[in-house]
Amino acid sequence: MTTIAATLPTPLAAPRRFDFGKFFAYAMLIVGSAIFLIPFSWMISGSLKTEANAQSSKVDLLPIPAIPQWQNYSESLQKMDFANCLANTVVITAFVVLGQVISCSLVGFGFAKFSFRGKPGLFIVMIATMMLPAQVTMIPVFILFRSLGWIDTFLPLVLPAWLASPFFVFMFRQFFAAIPDELLEAARLDGASNWAIYSRLMLPLSGPVIAIVAVQSFISTWNDFMGPLIYLNSPENRTIALALNSFKGQYGVTNANLLMAATAVTMLPCILLFFASQKHFVESVAMSGLKA
Amino acid sequence: MTIPKAIRLLLGFAALLVVIWSFVHVGLRLAGTRSDVGKINLTILHWGNAEEEQIVIKLVEAFEKEHPNVKIHRLHASNYDPKLKTMLAAGTPPDLFYLTYDNLEEFASEHLLMDLTPYVTENSPTGRHQAKWLDDFYPILLDVFRYDGHLPGQGALYGLPKDFTPMVTFVNLDLFQKAGVKIPYDGWTWDEYEGDMRKIAALSLPNSQPADRIYGGVINTYQEVLNNILWTYGGELFGKDGTDFRDIRLEDLKAQAALQMVKRLRLDEKTVFNATGIALEGGQQFYDGKIGCILPIGRWMVPRYRSIKDFRWDVVPLPHGERTVSRITTVAWTISARTQHSQEAVALLKFLCGREGQAMSARLGLAIPSLKSVAESDDFLTPGLEPKNTPLFLKEITHARRSLTPKEKEFNRIFEQEMSSALQIGNISTMDAARNIRQRWLRELDSPLRKEQAAPMPWGSLALLGVGLLTLLLILFVRCASRENLGPIDRANQRAGWMFIAPWLIGFALFTLGPMAFSLLLSFCKWSSITPLGEARFVGLGNYKHMLYHDREVVGQSLWVTVYYVMLAVPIGQAASLAIALLVNAKVRGIYFFRTAFYIPVLIGGVAMGTLWLKIFNNDYGLLNGLLRPITALFGATPPDWFGTDAKRWAIPGFVLMNLWTVGGGMILYLAALKGIPASYYEAARIDGAGRLRQFSSVTLPLISPFIFFNVVMALIGSFQVFTQAYVMTGPGPDNSTLFYVLNLYYQAFEYHSMGYASALAWVLFAVVLVLTLLVFRASRRWVYYEGLRS
Repeated sequence: MTTIAATLPTPLAAPRRFDFGKFFAYAMLIVGSAIFLIPFSWMISGSLKTEANAQSSKVDLLPIPAIPQWQNYSESLQKMDFANCLANTVVITAFVVLGQVISCSLVGFGFAKFSFRGKPGLFIVMIATMMLPAQVTMIPVFILFRSLGWIDTFLPLVLPAWLASPFFVFMFRQFFAAIPDELLEAARLDGASNWAIYSRLMLPLSGPVIAIVAVQSFISTWNDFMGPLIYLNSPENRTIALALNSFKGQYGVTNANLLMAATAVTMLPCILLFFASQKHFVESVAMSGLKA
Repeated sequence: MTIPKAIRLLLGFAALLVVIWSFVHVGLRLAGTRSDVGKINLTILHWGNAEEEQIVIKLVEAFEKEHPNVKIHRLHASNYDPKLKTMLAAGTPPDLFYLTYDNLEEFASEHLLMDLTPYVTENSPTGRHQAKWLDDFYPILLDVFRYDGHLPGQGALYGLPKDFTPMVTFVNLDLFQKAGVKIPYDGWTWDEYEGDMRKIAALSLPNSQPADRIYGGVINTYQEVLNNILWTYGGELFGKDGTDFRDIRLEDLKAQAALQMVKRLRLDEKTVFNATGIALEGGQQFYDGKIGCILPIGRWMVPRYRSIKDFRWDVVPLPHGERTVSRITTVAWTISARTQHSQEAVALLKFLCGREGQAMSARLGLAIPSLKSVAESDDFLTPGLEPKNTPLFLKEITHARRSLTPKEKEFNRIFEQEMSSALQIGNISTMDAARNIRQRWLRELDSPLRKEQAAPMPWGSLALLGVGLLTLLLILFVRCASRENLGPIDRANQRAGWMFIAPWLIGFALFTLGPMAFSLLLSFCKWSSITPLGEARFVGLGNYKHMLYHDREVVGQSLWVTVYYVMLAVPIGQAASLAIALLVNAKVRGIYFFRTAFYIPVLIGGVAMGTLWLKIFNNDYGLLNGLLRPITALFGATPPDWFGTDAKRWAIPGFVLMNLWTVGGGMILYLAALKGIPASYYEAARIDGAGRLRQFSSVTLPLISPFIFFNVVMALIGSFQVFTQAYVMTGPGPDNSTLFYVLNLYYQAFEYHSMGYASALAWVLFAVVLVLTLLVFRASRRWVYYEGLRS
């Protein structure tokens, strides 16, 4: 991290003088992130309490309680059969992230850089498919997958991701639209095929959007609950999100402390991923500079 | 190599290892041969927390050991309704599943349940006597799972109860003693109750903070709970001893007396805690030692309250008026009518409700065994463990009563909405609430949708028609395309465009178009999602008419709540995420940490977050009002009771406030967009003499406009469908103040079983959102600037 901060130009830097702008930015960042970390801090503290204290109606702001119950972590992971759930979730998520990035970038490229008959209409149709609440298509989709014999397999969760989801297609399209057409024309004149333009020009230029799509599809798949609930049956196929929900009993959440410990562990890969991939979605691709 | 780089490499390596291990693990499992070929397969579906699940796991293992020819597929669902109902709708119900008795009539009348009577009668020549082993069940528990085609309570047996609980009162012995109140072990009247509540509430110090206040008690306002109180007052919910569902008796004197008592204590005298929100029924306040007694409530609080150390507690009977009555709650294992292996299913059913399992769950303490021999054994009575008065639960059986409710679950919705107005907010009188319930219920019953017998939906011909239409469209399209005169370059361009969007087109045709068309067709049907599709009836525009003429208030309210939310959440949310993106765009040390901090709330979702928000927004104990109270006090005001008495005005702003925590998703997109703006543009603007603001409006805004556009469109579509947070936290809220459109739709689809009506609701929402989105698209031509697209 230090190297990055060091290599970045610091326009506000004015040595040996009190820099009000920077001070203000720091103040805002510290106050803001403290507010945003309240839920996380509450969860960590809850995960280290006894069950009785974790249920208390007062919200504790200190992340480590007086007598931390570290065994909550081992107990909760054991209860949810963590290793097995983790393997299932990793396999599903890996396929989905790969599928989303590949298929959505292809379709986004198609919508952004080609003009063909019916394109505007099709684009609206694609956006419109997101407007019907999933609650009413759930049963027909289930019947469809059942007739294909895919119930209790990962296919209903994984395969649709390889056929592009509108949200990420739209996102890719917005990024691609910002890449100047002249760049594509130049490549075409050099004899590049459409495929070469996509893979050698567009993709290398879209590091940020690929990183964002990868992170967001990772997180939504990792935390998806409804899909696995409906399509998976066998306990050995359970995903982490399903297992987390089994801490909820007939009469509300029972083991709140264990639930929070398990949630914290589950979140960890997402936090690390976000932290590590930031570099990619804030890298500036000097595409506009190429135009000159 | 620097240290951060080394850490990143190490993390990447660890991630790679985990991925490889996962693939090997899952691959090996899939490759493992299945040994259950040739076995009888039974599927069972149940719910329950980890301990309850363990009991079922053990029982299943024991049964499989005894019956090596049977393989049991055990499914566990924490969200039971959608899981069971998709299985039922697809015509593949589990062989055995849990059922609460308020669902019995609907399930039995739709012929979804297997009649157990032939299997539980003695093999005597007449075959009329019930088997001996059945005598060990408490008779009333069996009776609630009987149905004769008209009313539950008699006739054929459809389920075996696994456990039950009557309603009792949990008391804080220390508070009772401190207030000098006798512990009512031998019963008490409602008048005594009221007096005692006053004495206990008087224990709070004058001018004490809301969080330190002591209340006499908690009375919940669920339909089942209020029903129990009505009975003790000698009132009834329905005429003819509660069996004539058209005749609502809430306006009777005795019923009114009961309701007015609840209202008086909750809202006027405030000696009873005015608990609001579905997750806040006062159970926790009792735990914290702030509540004298909590009623009417069942055995299920016992395991949690056993960890109370600060005070002594016990259970006592409910107060009585004219009558002493305790409502029964019970869950049964039932068998699907479609099971292929009824003999084995019955054997499993008997085993699951047998002594072994009941003894295990009795020791857990959540419920009471339905078998007398186990209930009266030490497994349940657990001498030495709290509550001391455990035998009370068995004593209450003598005046136990089951509640009958209409199989149309809309009744619960109407009842709870009006009662929350009268008893939680207090904006209408109990008499008005009673009258509204009667009128709205009769209007609901008189909807043509409920009465008319309609023709079955011709699915076969519709499918043919659909295929025909699609082919026709395709042919037309191909002909048009071939007639067009295009140069070779244009033609290649066209073809390439189609090739690139092909993945989406295929996915759309395979997985999206069909289900969407299907739900559109369903919106013209009457179909309860628990029966197979063949049962769907064609009702034309019936659902849409019902929406306009019979359900206008609720649909209107849900639309208003949603629009109100969208109008606040979309602009505020976008402004906040852009502001935070600008902030974390600063080039300062540790910015990686700050960005992650702002993003973390996006990662915590679902149950955990909902629980936290309820605590933060709670009027008496919450963090938020704790902070606001000193500020509002300067103006002589008090902060709003967000999801409680002020819900009508403040619940939606509360949701908008919560939504602000999740602006991290929009933030990263804006951040990437900001980083994409070349520094040279700002230099040029500075040279032209543009100040900071001018740079923002003339350089930054136009260049990130494609992403503002994207975020606004997505936020618009997403906000109209907001569901999870309300579902987890508040449900419909007091007087439907948080009944979001999709929440109402979900209840219709999965709780009231009106899938046709839910589909109609969905398509109305679809139309509204489509029109709005098209307007945004149209307007976008004016303000969205694509650098790469110039025409």
